[in-house]
Amino acid sequence: MSAEKFKQKSELEQSYRSIAGFTLLFDHEGYLWEPKDWNEKVAVALAQECGIDLSEKHWKVINFMREYYFTFGRAPLNSQLKKGTGLSIAEINALFPGGIKKDGRRIAGLPNPRACL
Amino acid sequence: METNEFIYLDNAATSFPKPPEVLTGMNEKYARYGVSPGRGSYDLAVYAAELVWQTREKLARFFNAPDPNRVIFTANATDALNLAIQGLLQPGDHVVSTQLEHNSVLRPLYHLRERDGIAYDLVPFDEHGLVSPDDIVKAFKPKTKLVVISHASNVLGTVQPIKEIGCLCAEHGIPLLLDVAQSAGHIPINMLEWQVSAIAFTGHKALMGPAGIGGLIISPDLELQTTRFGGTGVDSLNLRHTQSYPHRLEAGTLNMPGIFGLSAALDYLEQNKTKMQQQKTQLTKLLYEGLREIKGIRLLSPEPKAESVPVLTCTVKDRDASVIGEILDGDYQIAVRTGLHCAPLVHKALRTAETGAVRFSPGPFNTQAQIKLAIRAMAEIAAML
Repeated sequence: MSAEKFKQKSELEQSYRSIAGFTLLFDHEGYLWEPKDWNEKVAVALAQECGIDLSEKHWKVINFMREYYFTFGRAPLNSQLKKGTGLSIAEINALFPGGIKKDGRRIAGLPNPRACL
Repeated sequence: METNEFIYLDNAATSFPKPPEVLTGMNEKYARYGVSPGRGSYDLAVYAAELVWQTREKLARFFNAPDPNRVIFTANATDALNLAIQGLLQPGDHVVSTQLEHNSVLRPLYHLRERDGIAYDLVPFDEHGLVSPDDIVKAFKPKTKLVVISHASNVLGTVQPIKEIGCLCAEHGIPLLLDVAQSAGHIPINMLEWQVSAIAFTGHKALMGPAGIGGLIISPDLELQTTRFGGTGVDSLNLRHTQSYPHRLEAGTLNMPGIFGLSAALDYLEQNKTKMQQQKTQLTKLLYEGLREIKGIRLLSPEPKAESVPVLTCTVKDRDASVIGEILDGDYQIAVRTGLHCAPLVHKALRTAETGAVRFSPGPFNTQAQIKLAIRAMAEIAAML
């Protein structure tokens, strides 16, 4: 199921769906409900849904975001992401064309930023 | 382009930074007089009430409103709009508004349609970002009880012809509720001359005050039902909520630091408004001329006029606006607002509902150098995407 289809669902709706052989809970915008449910196979499958083949650089960003999240309890700010990965935000956005907060966080299994971006 | 300077261009969301005089004035007054106004008979409470009254009077003068008693303090413009809309409309009523409105107008109307069966028509805007007064009148029905309009669009920066619309509303005996969230503090607002029945304002945008304070100012011939009930400090034995103004529409302890901050902000504006307005107008013009020249940028806002508010919105190669915002923030330290700006129908009309757009809103403390940096940043981003 593409991320687009999730946009039609109501704000409060969560749903289980199968991805990469796992049945996981997602929110209405296609973000994993439980970040701990994530694994690399799920990340690859979520990335493919966005038309992305994950490279070494992708994993660098994904791993940094997850490590930061589980250390500090929130996603890294743009400035922290830059510092932690050594990449510019433009470079990271080129890796995740839908945006860091949208595609990047979704693929990394982080919670929905729930903001008007 | 390396820069360490933080450039804030999101003043349409909230003005930042606040003038030091406003923060100092707010803190000093709250430190000295921050008791519950009018709720005690001791001198400090009486004087605090007097300071609140003086702020009502200042606001009445600022907006050329007829009666300070009908200056009602609220949390913000959204709160004021809800107070007015829910206090005025009855089941089955009809409302005329526009497709330029913010969700602070659209959502209360939507809610009342769902709950009470009110009906409403939303007049479209033209290629100049303006609604036609004639279209407003054409939308009138026998049960039309209210016209609600945003004075200035928070997406396009355009300012509506309120004097003409107010006149037409008055001729038809229909109250006009004006949302001045984006215009108050930028351009003069004249409630009496424009025949506006109620205005909803917020303190924390161009009025340069703190967040958490706003107001609804109503004309003497408009009666609103009480929709919030509680202590007013007067007639306490009566279980029926006080019906005299302003208590009729206020309940509980007022936001004293907010009122002191707003009062200090009004004083600051009085001293500096001409200089501030010139600065904002020049910066917006500079920004428009710079963005217009960049290949790949589509400006949604028309060319700013002298009376426009300092808001410019654009897209970059139809890319998701959040991407642009992230790069501006992370790589250039420039803060803008991306997305739908809580004005979904504007974006639907402009076909930007899927991607959102990037909104720049310079303030009086921005500089030409900062605007030029922003233009350069946008040029670099457009070239790399």
